[in-house]
Amino acid sequence: MKKLDRLDWAEGLTVSTFGVRAGVRVNVTGLLPRVLPLLPPGWKKSARVIVQRLYSLLVAQGCERTGMRRLHVLYADSTQVARGAALDQVLAAFETDLHRYTAEAASDVTFLHAGVVGWQGSAIVLPGRSFSGKTTLVREMLRLGATYYSDEFAVVDNSGLVHPFARPLGIRDNSSPTETKYTAERLGAASGIKPLPMGMAVICKYEAGARWRPAPLSQGLGALELLANSVAVRSQPHHTLRRLHTLAKEAVFIQGTRGEASEAAASILNLSCGRERLEVA
Amino acid sequence: MKNRQFPRARLDCLSREFDSELLVYDPQRNVGHCLNSTAAAAWKLCDGNNSLSQITRTLSRQLAARVDESVVLLALDRLADAHLLVAEEVRVERPSRRLAIRRIGMAAAIALPLVTSIVAPTPAQAASCVHNNQPCSSNAMCCSGVCVPIVGRCLGG
Repeated sequence: MKKLDRLDWAEGLTVSTFGVRAGVRVNVTGLLPRVLPLLPPGWKKSARVIVQRLYSLLVAQGCERTGMRRLHVLYADSTQVARGAALDQVLAAFETDLHRYTAEAASDVTFLHAGVVGWQGSAIVLPGRSFSGKTTLVREMLRLGATYYSDEFAVVDNSGLVHPFARPLGIRDNSSPTETKYTAERLGAASGIKPLPMGMAVICKYEAGARWRPAPLSQGLGALELLANSVAVRSQPHHTLRRLHTLAKEAVFIQGTRGEASEAAASILNLSCGRERLEVA
Repeated sequence: MKNRQFPRARLDCLSREFDSELLVYDPQRNVGHCLNSTAAAAWKLCDGNNSLSQITRTLSRQLAARVDESVVLLALDRLADAHLLVAEEVRVERPSRRLAIRRIGMAAAIALPLVTSIVAPTPAQAASCVHNNQPCSSNAMCCSGVCVPIVGRCLGG
């Protein structure tokens, strides 16, 4: 860390998100505007100098010797987390690492890996691992008029309310393996601001051609599914269990296998309106 | 032998009730369990003082149904498999699960004890990641945890 501290840093800033303070410094002037959109949603500048995690981004500058490849390097504290010739890739690694760290280190809230939309005053939470189709379902619900909260994390506070983590949606087009970022507004939807109680949690997996026939899930098994997608359950089990308990208190859980997102999205929004019909007997 | 006769629930596990079910987190093994009503009721009675027959009697009273001892044995079996009981010092002969279920029969008035378990995710597992052969610049970005630096792509996952 001392070696890194001795380098010449052009600019930097300290930010605070969900109670987690992180710093970022770069060795090139004018790079911060490219860093700002990658910060977690809802970040604020912090005047505090002491941070929980300090990112140091060393951008390769000018190639002095021919045939020598210069790489951009990113450190989190003193650990190298990314290195590459493409700056975009290193910046993507910065975004991934900072979001994950925030989700893991936040102690005032619990992060669940889930897509979230707001619908008629309640949050619909779609927990699931990477590539389970959360973003596709969220996008489809936005098309049907839902409010965007997140395609990555449900942020749950002590009262069991779900806060927005409205980063741009990372949509994978069929022709490309990489994600393209779209803001909810660009997709014609609004982003939620107000924390909402969870009305429904939907545990679903994608299977080509499957018909969407959701079945009710008991609260205990539903909560277990949420636990299976809790970022910091290993390091903060007490907080996680307490918040899951409050979150799930009034919620309905359903599960099923979906085919086309449009069919499932419409059905989920309809069920969410008259959710008492699906309650487990 | 004593532990089997007077089973004791592990006190270091965290738990929360969800209706009649119980969500239990084992911080030693990083495993979460959902105990259905019968398993939850049996687990709560495992205080190291209640014998098998006492647990059976109390369960019958709590669930307002006649509970067979084989149901309690099955519950203890499943709780022990999930490491939710203080480990037995001396292994005892357990009735086979199939036999127990057969003895309980279809006419059981209560739900068979059930313990559903999941391994708690690491922070990296509970976040989006990049799949095989997609661009990366750090191991943490890849679902497999392996980013090949020379090509800058994820390997596996």
